[in-house]
Amino acid sequence: MKQIKIFTLFFISVAMALAGCTGGGAEGGSGTDRIVLAAYTTPREAYGQLIPLFQSQWLAETGRRVVFEESYLGSGAQSRAVVEGFEADIVALSLAADVNRIKQAGLITHDWQQNDHNGFVTTSVVAFAVRKGNPLQIQDWSDLRRPGIEILTPNPKMSGGAMWNILGAYGAALRGNIDGIPGEDPEAAMMLLKDILRNVSVMDQSARDSIVNYEMGIGDLAITYENEVLVGRNSGQDYELILPASTILIENPIAIVDVNVDKHGSREVTEAFLDFLLTPEAQAIFAQHGLRVVNPEAAAASAEFYPEIDDLFTVDFFVGWDQVMIEIFGDGGLYDQVLLQVHRR
Amino acid sequence: MIKERKTWGARVLIGVVMIYMGILIIAPLVGLVTGVFERGLQPVFLTLTLPLLHQSLSLSLQIALVVVVVQTIFGTLIAWVLVRQDFRFKTVLNGFIDIPFAISGVVVGYMLLLLFGRQGLLFPLVDWLNFRVAFAVPGMFLATLFVCLPFMVREMIPVFENLDRQQEKAAATLGANTWLRFWRVIFPQMKTALIYGITLTFARAMGEFGSVLVIGGGIRGRTETATVFIFRSLDERRFVDAYVAALILGFLSVLIVLVADGIKKAREKKES
Repeated sequence: MKQIKIFTLFFISVAMALAGCTGGGAEGGSGTDRIVLAAYTTPREAYGQLIPLFQSQWLAETGRRVVFEESYLGSGAQSRAVVEGFEADIVALSLAADVNRIKQAGLITHDWQQNDHNGFVTTSVVAFAVRKGNPLQIQDWSDLRRPGIEILTPNPKMSGGAMWNILGAYGAALRGNIDGIPGEDPEAAMMLLKDILRNVSVMDQSARDSIVNYEMGIGDLAITYENEVLVGRNSGQDYELILPASTILIENPIAIVDVNVDKHGSREVTEAFLDFLLTPEAQAIFAQHGLRVVNPEAAAASAEFYPEIDDLFTVDFFVGWDQVMIEIFGDGGLYDQVLLQVHRR
Repeated sequence: MIKERKTWGARVLIGVVMIYMGILIIAPLVGLVTGVFERGLQPVFLTLTLPLLHQSLSLSLQIALVVVVVQTIFGTLIAWVLVRQDFRFKTVLNGFIDIPFAISGVVVGYMLLLLFGRQGLLFPLVDWLNFRVAFAVPGMFLATLFVCLPFMVREMIPVFENLDRQQEKAAATLGANTWLRFWRVIFPQMKTALIYGITLTFARAMGEFGSVLVIGGGIRGRTETATVFIFRSLDERRFVDAYVAALILGFLSVLIVLVADGIKKAREKKES
């Protein structure tokens, strides 16, 4: 009996001691606003810098504190979470289709693309990360089909980044801007995708997982966002950025979730936050974190770090996301067909 | 004890076991510890003062504690009913208990989302009660409860099966009421299994990841457990944070296991 008492006592005391050090938390009474941010994984370092800035501005302007609850998951997972009931006030996602899913669920009731930047807050381009010194001499999409090259790209079923990657390769091929591939030939473009996907060794669930695994030494090359490579290099990684001659412009949407802000009574502060993110000051911070920006002033200021791409196209080249989500990434769509051919061999 | 000369065969066997355990368990632990102190003590101290680390550890502990308490009561009850009562569907029920072993945490989280998510079956009910399950701590608690179900039950079943009914009958003859019979006759025989059940349940609850990430949404400072904190830190390339949190988690679990082992040894010594 004595031992069990000791055990219980020990167990409870250790647990209590540790559970006790909760440290305040984000509880707030009156005079405190709260914003729940649901974001995809790539811009989190930028938000880490932007949020404190907005907090002090909001305090100075209104005398109110604003606390943030932040969640960073893959864009698709995040979008589904909001649809399933994660009560985010504002969503910052990788692609417009993920915002549209929330809109279709009835949670966003306004036309979120109705502003100066079509609802986008940042952009980037699909690019490659290669090992230091580019030992395999990879310059363009056509090099990715060479046999024996190990490629990392995330899973399009889970990650917005992965969809951009697939669209980048497929679009560049269709436009006839890849060596050895005639333009406007869907057959040849599918062959390219097939060859690339055959070389893919790891498919992670998010763009960030993919690049971090690349840093762990897996693979010869990662297809990823330009900003992921720049952020990685900033944190001391020595891989290099390769921009293909023809690639897709990634447009990252941001939108207020009407139903949730009205429920929380947080519309005013959330709108102020959104406006803040589009100011030249905030956009400059995005630019520091590897993202191309939509504010013309900030874009001009950071132009030297973001070279122009010879042939840059947008998702509109494929008519739009509604089309893409059905014809390319829908069940039995082009991606599924290519993948089937890859696995068959 | 008689000291035996070890044969060559025995030595080889011992060697194989030592090498296997060394590679499987000791090597990763050494890797973890060196990872923590790779850049000296300064970053470690910085990590230890992070409020988000405290909050996530605290949340993990709170969930684990409540799960242990609930599982101790209901696990024991389930085991008792399964051993002592005969009823229809008993075999089915017995089989159901092991389901959490077979289902991955991510699936558990998703099943709960299907129940409690905005389009879920039970959502109208919880919404009407103005209660949050999905993307809140109650959902994470349910998920952890689910994955921890088998441990207590599986520990207690053999104990109840091996109980000496004669002792109970004797106690009853001597006029002991049900409560007294439980406390004086049955409970003492449960102790070792109870300690093990608690230890295993606690360790499993602290280590749960997939289900709590899916149902909790990984909201910093609110639904972020220690394991989710580690996952996020790795993603953010905050490696020291991740290693330190992992080390604390590992340390807690090892501590609990060691204490449980120590108590078991002390009991055996007393009995012999």
